[in-house]
Amino acid sequence: MGLAFFEEDAMPVRTKSLALIGSAAALTLVLSLPMPSAEAKPDVWQTLKQQTFGDRAIATDGMVVLEMPDTAEDAALVPLTVRVPPHVRQDLKSLTLVIDNNPDPVIAKIAFGPAAGNGGERSFSTRVRVEDFSHVRAILETGDGELHMASKFVAAAGGCGALMAKDPDVETVDLGKMIVKTFPPALDSNPIWSGQVMIKHPNANGMQLDINTATIIPARYVKEMTVKRDGELVFKMEGTFSISTNPNFRFTYGRGQDNDLDVTIVDTDQTVFAGHSDPAGS
Amino acid sequence: MAGNAFFASPPPATPRDRRFQVTRQAVLRGALVLFTAPLFRLLPALAATRLEVSEVAPGIFVHQGRYEMQSPENRGDMANAGFIVGDEAVAVIDTLGSAGMGRELREAIRAVTDKPVRYVINTHMHPDHVFGNAAFKDDNPAFVAHYKMARGLASRADRYLAVNERMMGKDALAGTEIVLPTLAVEDRLTLDLGNRELVLEALPTAHTDNDLIVTDTKTGTLFLGDLLFSVHVPTLDGSIRGWLTLIDDLEERQVARVVPGHGPHAMELPEAFGPEKRYLSTIAQDVQRLIREGKTLEDATKIAGFSERDAWKLFDKYHVRNVSAAFAELEWE
Repeated sequence: MGLAFFEEDAMPVRTKSLALIGSAAALTLVLSLPMPSAEAKPDVWQTLKQQTFGDRAIATDGMVVLEMPDTAEDAALVPLTVRVPPHVRQDLKSLTLVIDNNPDPVIAKIAFGPAAGNGGERSFSTRVRVEDFSHVRAILETGDGELHMASKFVAAAGGCGALMAKDPDVETVDLGKMIVKTFPPALDSNPIWSGQVMIKHPNANGMQLDINTATIIPARYVKEMTVKRDGELVFKMEGTFSISTNPNFRFTYGRGQDNDLDVTIVDTDQTVFAGHSDPAGS
Repeated sequence: MAGNAFFASPPPATPRDRRFQVTRQAVLRGALVLFTAPLFRLLPALAATRLEVSEVAPGIFVHQGRYEMQSPENRGDMANAGFIVGDEAVAVIDTLGSAGMGRELREAIRAVTDKPVRYVINTHMHPDHVFGNAAFKDDNPAFVAHYKMARGLASRADRYLAVNERMMGKDALAGTEIVLPTLAVEDRLTLDLGNRELVLEALPTAHTDNDLIVTDTKTGTLFLGDLLFSVHVPTLDGSIRGWLTLIDDLEERQVARVVPGHGPHAMELPEAFGPEKRYLSTIAQDVQRLIREGKTLEDATKIAGFSERDAWKLFDKYHVRNVSAAFAELEWE
């Protein structure tokens, strides 16, 4: 059966698009306008650095490695991996992830606890939205209080404004579903385990449009995540909406007794989600 | 287009003569624009021969899009589009990737028939199928689509416009606007073109969450939109599980021919689905294995489905994205 759409519902969208087209047409003759590019952006990092770390020195010394694709195939789902090479022997204090040109550039802060582990390669991975061509940075604070940075320039566009869910209806039904997995090391001699947390959550950034109501979907995202191994803190993360829909984290932690993980997630609606790993190694 | 080449940026000037250069450039450019701007409106019309369409069955015409990404040269001519002529009216199925290409499609219709365009049907929300809608606005048709299409397109509209402008240029995209459906199909809808019935079916999430197929009962011609890719690598923006399930159903259909969203003008079932089914199954199997092995999405984008690389055009443009989408879906199973 057919169902006619209410014109009122569609109007705000159409008006906006028409405005865009209008301004595009007005610019058509100004052919010498440069395309937006990284070079055209002011160096936001110096400001961000001052705001976040003050006058502290930040070394680029290979103590931390950042892996991301050069070009994001899907700007809403860009894999990001931070590695701390095995030669780094110190405990880890914190990790700050920054995407210079995102609306809220400091996208996550991770404070490590006693169960974060040491004695092998440590890593942290997630998937992020990248709004524009941007530098992405990982700033690691080691146990001695020193800061170390790795950065990468990523070409992506429109990760934040676009509605990420392929099928928003399914996602709404499953909200809060959580899976926690643990992976033992390949060699028993390696004291570093890895874990994974994934949760069905829109991580909505307040920039996505709901066509049914012609309103912006209010921001609702994972604000805080605490991961514990056998009751001891692995890390506590403060997150933002730059983490992709259905937040997904892979991380390492130190070997313990049972190596089970307990995860608590709080979103901006103050809803609390709890998860526990399946039996070890599953 | 030729227009862009005229105004390509000059090599950077040295600081010493920069000011003079820029001023002189600006003046020259301004003059060129002033003198030639009226001509540019004519250029595409003069250069282009009529859009090629092929009559795949009596009264059913299909234009085959190029196997390309959008560019200033192809102006969004990179998907198949068609039209069906009844005794009283015409239905258009997809409108190509820009208002300009939509106009060319409209001219091709006018070369065949004077009957009014009563329906413009979009098989799903993607720009290469809907950006030509604006060319039909003056015909005042019903714009028909899956009931979820408006939400999908509206929420992506700004990004679609920005990305296409970047790839095609402003000139090629001139006049393009988002035209949302005015008639939504929730399940099934029959349209009558005069002694000719079209059956529209809204399907569950597969290529996107708003795939719609159209059957011309008179000739047994089934327009599958992007549920069927041939030669052009499939692109996944919905559910790989849903798509594979749907293929099992669709390839059993008893029709004389199917029209893919990307591929030749017409094909036959069940063979038409063979390569696509193999491609999607390969990705699904590889990704599932990697998830079982505890591998990451990143790992999967470097490994999964690469045995299919030589079988498709545009593989390097879309495959990694397909694998990412499949991984993000299948890791929840």
